Amino acid sequence: MQNKSDVSNLALFALNIAEKLTAKFAEIYFYLSDYLNIDIEENSIKNNEIGSDLGVGIRVINQKGSLGFAYTNRLERKYIEKMVKTAISLMKTGTEDPDFKDLPPKYEVYKTVNGLYDKDIKYLSIEDSILYAEDLINICDKDDMAISQSGNFSSSYNKTFIFNSNGLSIDSKTTISSISSHVIVKDEITNDTSFGFESQIERNLNGINSKNVVKTALKNAKRNLNRKKINSIKAPLILTPKGVISFILRPLASAINAETFQYKRSFLVDRRGEYLGPEFLNIEDNALIEGAVGSATFDGEGVPCKNKRVIDKGKFLKSGLLHNSYTAGKEGVESSGNAARDSYSSLPGIGIKNLILQSGKSSKDEIIQNVKEGILLDYTGDRPNISTGDFSGLILQGNLIRNGEILDALNETMFGINLLDLFRNIEEISKETKVYGPFQAPFVKIADVQIIGSAS
Amino acid sequence: MEIADELKIYDDNLVKELSNLARDNIEYWDIRTTLNNGTVLSFTNQRSKEISSYETLECGIRAFINGGWGFCVLKKIDKNNIIDGFLKAIKLARKSQSLCKFQFNINESDPLNKKFKIKSVRNLESIDIKDKIEIVKNHEDISSKYSKEIKNTRTVYLDGYFKNLFLNSFGSQVYQDLEVLRLFSAVYAQRKGLIQNAMNSVGGVGGFEIMETEAAQNISLKSAKQAIMLLDAKSPVGGKFNVIMDPKLTGTFIHEAFGHACEADIVLNKESILEDKIGKTVAIEEVNVIDDPTIGQGKKFNLPYELYGSYNVDDEGIPSQKTVIIEDGILRNFLHNIETASRMSIEPNGHGRANSSVAIPQVRMGFTYLEPKDWKLEEMIEDTKSGVLCEDFQYGYTDTTTGNFQFKCKFSYRIENGEKKELMRDVSLSGMTLEVLKRITAIGDKSTFNYSDGICGKGGQGVRVCDGGPFIRIEDITVGGLN
Repeated sequence: MQNKSDVSNLALFALNIAEKLTAKFAEIYFYLSDYLNIDIEENSIKNNEIGSDLGVGIRVINQKGSLGFAYTNRLERKYIEKMVKTAISLMKTGTEDPDFKDLPPKYEVYKTVNGLYDKDIKYLSIEDSILYAEDLINICDKDDMAISQSGNFSSSYNKTFIFNSNGLSIDSKTTISSISSHVIVKDEITNDTSFGFESQIERNLNGINSKNVVKTALKNAKRNLNRKKINSIKAPLILTPKGVISFILRPLASAINAETFQYKRSFLVDRRGEYLGPEFLNIEDNALIEGAVGSATFDGEGVPCKNKRVIDKGKFLKSGLLHNSYTAGKEGVESSGNAARDSYSSLPGIGIKNLILQSGKSSKDEIIQNVKEGILLDYTGDRPNISTGDFSGLILQGNLIRNGEILDALNETMFGINLLDLFRNIEEISKETKVYGPFQAPFVKIADVQIIGSAS
Repeated sequence: MEIADELKIYDDNLVKELSNLARDNIEYWDIRTTLNNGTVLSFTNQRSKEISSYETLECGIRAFINGGWGFCVLKKIDKNNIIDGFLKAIKLARKSQSLCKFQFNINESDPLNKKFKIKSVRNLESIDIKDKIEIVKNHEDISSKYSKEIKNTRTVYLDGYFKNLFLNSFGSQVYQDLEVLRLFSAVYAQRKGLIQNAMNSVGGVGGFEIMETEAAQNISLKSAKQAIMLLDAKSPVGGKFNVIMDPKLTGTFIHEAFGHACEADIVLNKESILEDKIGKTVAIEEVNVIDDPTIGQGKKFNLPYELYGSYNVDDEGIPSQKTVIIEDGILRNFLHNIETASRMSIEPNGHGRANSSVAIPQVRMGFTYLEPKDWKLEEMIEDTKSGVLCEDFQYGYTDTTTGNFQFKCKFSYRIENGEKKELMRDVSLSGMTLEVLKRITAIGDKSTFNYSDGICGKGGQGVRVCDGGPFIRIEDITVGGLN
């Protein structure tokens, strides 16, 4: 299926059958991924893997808005014909949906976004990939406190083709490479152990810095050794970029998803147009950044992608929701180009492109130095309840800050806050930002958070 | 039993050819090929959102030599591609072997030549899509009409039928014909600005008869009742309390906080609090923990199907079996795949599992549970002066290197002077696994024993699991809340 005309022929074949069988709307989606993966366990190369995934999904919708979907990875014509017929028969069993308006039209113009494809990744060999994995292993080997590491390096070359009954026909090729390190360290004197992790995802191979990834993982692990219980306090919380992503950006991504919103499952329902935070709080979802992991020229339905502001000078914009064509049609607006699809096996959902909390004025060192008593939060395994905004959780990687200094790691310490209070209590945002995959975040200081210690 | 046409490609000639290619090159290989079919039905607010069906054919080839593994996933399955993929897997394994620090062999096990078929009453393949949809519509109807405060409902039906062939270099040829089904119901209720939700699921290995059980038929009513109940629940006050956990929470605790630390790959990677603990006391004497994924346990719970986490044979051709993990408070066994068993010089115990033929088997649990003892639930409550009774969970996780765990409960009741008081929501429990196993002050009897099922994620793969136990009471657990 490397050949575009082969794919077009198969797509036409499928769309023709769908039309003959009374589907009013039809869309066919091909996806190919050639990938490789190297696993590290016990700080040693464990497994080398190569693979390929190729398949096709068809979505058909009738006059009343009832939808059928089927997919297969068997690309011979007889299986494709079977798939289309199955989708049509499923479509006939569904309920009416007057909220469905149309599939995306044929677009004349798409914005160009450079740097999403890197031939060095497409043609990367296992031998060259191993060098990245070996960086992780070598640095860990030389570290006195590291006792183990698991991690991986992976890369993939992906092709997407979308065709629909409105004449839309578009394709793209992209590459992705990622590296991750999860290290275990031990303090030989106290016998205490701890873990730390770090990861990096890039569109271009030369952006991967394996040495930096393992060094950061080691630093995080060591900062989390010899954990102490503290008493309960009400104090400022300093979120690291990783903390901001897990605690502000990921929940926000769910809360501004138009589907979640339309079903009133989001704590932000009825708050469009309101000021949620200080005037230096700006959040956008930008699909057009050159070389960024979340960037794309078109979304999972072929709609052109763009840059959308979500929170502007503290105000949650009326236009701040992420839409696919269905939710947009329901609301009577244009799709924001956020239809998300990771494979031929799923219907288009809704997802972020590059969700960015913009940098502020303070330096991160200043922010920390000015804290008399507070908490540095890097990681919690908990997540807020999106429909209420309530959060209560355990600090898995966090430290006490006293008189501007980062001190003991915290043991069995929990905290609780509602996300609306959290936005309102944002006091400072750092100049420095970090990118993790489709997220970009600075350090953020939140005032007055209830910390529940377990020291008795 | 006739095997699926797609899998007949592995005839004697092909297997012989593969064995010849492997000779002198690698020590072990296996090939997993699966024909997957299934249905997804998703309804929201009584409207169909997804009605879908799939057919895929997948194959993963694994090769091993002296500590190094290679794995090749095919996109098209014919004889030439299989041989080509096999040679690639060999090359990848040799490359891994040239770099890995740990040299070991895979201990040869007896070849298994067997065909397994799940005995379903109403084979999923033969059920008309309209009958499946009817059930989902009915559940949507029940939950959305339960109360005016219910604003949003969602029902999802997932089924799959898999025909899987496993071949390995020990001469095993295992064919499995499997049916799996799961039904979810989620309900969101709203009162003024307050939104609460409840979610339930029923799953099993078997046919459409799973939908006819009481639990499946009541699922939407249960979700609706729970969501409304939670509107009246209070926010908890944090602190240290005596906590009584229901079977679902006991199961989650045993699975998340303890079970993962028993997975031998985690132990070898020095991520487990249980390294060097075999033969040592890790819990009070009354504690016995088992993992038993064998087929045939559905009837223990009066179910006409097999438990969701059960299987005949794992994804490395090892039959499922009962493993005693803790016996009278003493740690006896870890859970193994063929690699970890070989490295620790014991027999594999059937825990090498993968979520599909295109993923590598890892060490995974099946049905993990704490054995019951002799307390009645009423006695446990009466005996508690001040505490919290916690039921059902939202989610949970554990840092396996320290044993620090955290669970978010669905329903919690304050206990005062031996009496169950008001309902609280979003109570979270945290503690250190090994300390908590020694602070258990009561273990419920057989009548309180139950289990729940779900998908457990590890290394990017989700597999079917069950966990369970009786009600148990633990002292001095840290309870967190918003206040």
